[in-house]
Amino acid sequence: MKARTEMKKQNVLVIGAGVAGMEASLLLANAGMKVFLVEKDSLIGGKTIKFEEVYPNMECATCMIAPKQQDVLQNENIEMYLLSDLGKVQGSAGNFKVTVNKKARYVSLTNCIGCGACYEPCPVSLDNEFEEGLSKKKAIAVACPGALPNIPAIDPENCLHLNGKKKECKACQEACMFDAIDFTEKDETIDIEVGAILVATGFDMFDVTALAQYGYGKFPNVYTAMEFERLYAQNGPTEGKLILRDDRALKSIGIIHCVGRGEQGYCSGVCCMYSVKFAHFFKHKATEAKICQFYKDLCIPGKSHQRFYEDAHDKEVAFIHYEDIQVEELKGNLQISYEDGNGKKDSFKADMVVLSPAMVPRKETERLAKTLGISQDKRGFFSTQNEQLSPVTTEKEGIFVIGCAEGPKDIPDSIAQAEAAVGKILSSFQ
Amino acid sequence: MNGQIGVYVCECGPNIKDRIDIDKVLEEISSIENVKIAKRSPLLCSVDGKKFLAEEIKKEELTHLVVAACSPRDHEKTFMNVCEESGLNPYLFQLVNIREHCAWMISDKDAATSKAIKYIRAGIKRVAFHESLEKKQLEGNPDVLVIGGGIAGLETSLSLAGAKRRVHLVEKTEFLGGMAARLTQLLPQQGSKLSLIKEKIEQVKKHQQINVLTSCEVADVRGFLGNFEVVLKSNANGSEEREIQVGAIVVATGFGLFDPQRSSDYGYGENDNILTALEFEEQVGSGKVLLKNGKKPKSVALVHCVGRKERGYCSKVCCLYMLKFAHYLKDAFSDLDVTEFYVDLCLPHKTDQEYFEEAKNKGIRFIRTEEVKVKGKKEGIEVEYRTDGKTDAIQVDMAVLAPAMIPSEDTSKLASMLNIPLDRTGFFKEVHEILDPISTPIEGVYTAGCALGPKNIPESIVQSQATSGKIFSSLIPGKKIEPEVKVSIIREEFCTGCQTCLSVCFYGAISFDPVKGISRVNEAICRGCGSCVGSCPSGAIRSKHYTYPQLYREVLEALR
Repeated sequence: MKARTEMKKQNVLVIGAGVAGMEASLLLANAGMKVFLVEKDSLIGGKTIKFEEVYPNMECATCMIAPKQQDVLQNENIEMYLLSDLGKVQGSAGNFKVTVNKKARYVSLTNCIGCGACYEPCPVSLDNEFEEGLSKKKAIAVACPGALPNIPAIDPENCLHLNGKKKECKACQEACMFDAIDFTEKDETIDIEVGAILVATGFDMFDVTALAQYGYGKFPNVYTAMEFERLYAQNGPTEGKLILRDDRALKSIGIIHCVGRGEQGYCSGVCCMYSVKFAHFFKHKATEAKICQFYKDLCIPGKSHQRFYEDAHDKEVAFIHYEDIQVEELKGNLQISYEDGNGKKDSFKADMVVLSPAMVPRKETERLAKTLGISQDKRGFFSTQNEQLSPVTTEKEGIFVIGCAEGPKDIPDSIAQAEAAVGKILSSFQ
Repeated sequence: MNGQIGVYVCECGPNIKDRIDIDKVLEEISSIENVKIAKRSPLLCSVDGKKFLAEEIKKEELTHLVVAACSPRDHEKTFMNVCEESGLNPYLFQLVNIREHCAWMISDKDAATSKAIKYIRAGIKRVAFHESLEKKQLEGNPDVLVIGGGIAGLETSLSLAGAKRRVHLVEKTEFLGGMAARLTQLLPQQGSKLSLIKEKIEQVKKHQQINVLTSCEVADVRGFLGNFEVVLKSNANGSEEREIQVGAIVVATGFGLFDPQRSSDYGYGENDNILTALEFEEQVGSGKVLLKNGKKPKSVALVHCVGRKERGYCSKVCCLYMLKFAHYLKDAFSDLDVTEFYVDLCLPHKTDQEYFEEAKNKGIRFIRTEEVKVKGKKEGIEVEYRTDGKTDAIQVDMAVLAPAMIPSEDTSKLASMLNIPLDRTGFFKEVHEILDPISTPIEGVYTAGCALGPKNIPESIVQSQATSGKIFSSLIPGKKIEPEVKVSIIREEFCTGCQTCLSVCFYGAISFDPVKGISRVNEAICRGCGSCVGSCPSGAIRSKHYTYPQLYREVLEALR
């Protein structure tokens, strides 16, 4: 108990800078704590910044999140480690010793002003993962317009100078007016001491290529929900234009819910709502299109969600309950063949199919759980001490888990968990 | 004005320098009235740039500062800090964004330059009307009032008290524990028993930092973050009133249940063996699930979504507790015939589906319906249902109804007392449904649990701990509260007392003074949104830092 009263209690490590991690960091910093925020990507904001609009009020997600991102980046009590990962963790509550492995960015956060003059001259073209591979990026790039910090990072595996394939290429460095590019930057290992650890590592999406029945990867116009989000986004690869992979005009769309639910063994709780959101999207940009939603159970819990669902209903939007479903190609058209709960079979012709996959644990979860000495539940998410009464506390004192790292949930629930963990930390460490 | 305005144009490396003719800009603006000096600098946000700016403010004895550079999002705060450190009030400063608005937008250098000149001139004319604004500091009381002694109120109190906060926990009834204390099992997957709630009640009662006031209600609330005065009324000894001071308030008043008698579809009251979920839960708690005639039931119908249609939302928790009931029944009488009538199964938590599959494996029948009617008859109960357009019916001995969760009866009374809004469903409204799900528009007033809308016990506990997290970070013992500086002010002589401003203020910052017949702004509460300024028919309200002369001159110059 004595260790807790020493200075280290004032430091908290937050792993993951998505909405949950950012919210927790800001509250802790405002309460006077020192926060070390570790993020594996080169930018902050998590998955939320990929969305053009969020339900149920169809607010612009980037506009909503950008002020929080700015606050995080400018807060003096928050020390950001981007492109960073957790190394070793030793010690116990009140007195953890942690190593952070920080990869080189090769671009100075203080010198760079984000003018983007370095992208154009770079000769390397790569798939942009942030854009779900729907667009290309250079070996020096920011993920998307509006990314924060608005400072590029160099991909050392693909940069011709850094991987040694063309040592003399310094195109980006020559283009930079601010002396911001430093090829000599090295990966670092940083030791920090903290009183508490907050795990906010988010989720991955179920890999739909594993299920042949949906034709993903085989038929070009079958999209995942995340791909569709980027396709719709103004700052995305098509600047928000709904252009199909084969340039076909969009007249009918099938949205399939519950993809991977059977395999994962749980309902992700948010897919029905964002699928309904897609119907709202289509009403803006493909006004004539016929939309068909295929669901197993409509899960629209909460006081404002049913209304959102009802508002999406009109003559162009149908909701069909299915038990079995398959996506096929017929004479150059996509066809969704389904069987409903009463054994009736039918089909729907679609120009585009959007799959709403289950939210699954991040692939790093197992390694992180081992490093931290906490356990996973049978689905692979981090488990909590008692799901009923201690929802953000893990079995190891001083370590908390929040947001989708604990299981699928929506943005407000993730934020509430972040605030709750701050409550728990400040309540037990003061 | 007799000011000395300094104007500094940032080159921002090549970003502004290459695309705007800065020399031409300086030439045009240096002749504007009151501009004492106009200069360029390579990178004002850099260490050298800030030092240069600070020296200029002192050397040139500037009374106002204009910086033409990037977006205020990037560096407004940076330059305001430079002002403050150089002894210039930071509100006597204006940042003009000629990078995003001119240099990056317009490829033609002449066009970009002339737009930049207009914008900078607008900034100069605006800044001439700026006034010094002083930050205020208020003392804040760190104590907290928690309204409601259910699971959310208990958790909030314990979490706050853990950090040595003084908590007043007010509960209307004689007992702590709320609805959760009436349940037999919480989340049966984990075997969580009622004893866990009892332990929490005992911890709260014993805690030295928590002042438990049962049979007590809130009669009146005045004040703002850090400084609330609350009148409490005790129902125990007559109706004794007392006043307490707190810095924050948490509303955790829980929920009510839809009365199934409001619709004839559910047959409630027609037959003694048609029970609500809570009645059934209490029967389970007493250890005997029997029909009213004392006999063992042979068949039970579990009817979901009672009142969902009428209320217009899904209550989120009913599907899961109906599964719990099915388990209770099958465990008690394995030969019992249990049928669940549902519309859609709402099982959003990661462990829910597994629990559903266990129920299915125990032989429970699930019927997806479009419509259900429960008819209580003397001889028994008939459940008529429509599925895939066809109507069918079954006879059962007992029916259990899962009614919708609705706002608790005191919700609207408390809302008007605390000046916090309700949403269309009658629950308290969040200040921002997504980003700030437990705060109300009144700073220092938070809500937790089912007072905000239907949710399960873990979610209520999370929200309760969340309120403590918010309070720990905004109301810190020994730290002064700094209210917004750019607030609205009402000029008494122009106010006609129409009270339009009261109806538009989202934050409850305006009150009416009946003696003088005018409205007043409480500067400690006002957040400077400006809604009242726009609404005032007599133009009596102005917003500091967004006054008519400031905005008028700025727009005029930009359009000239």
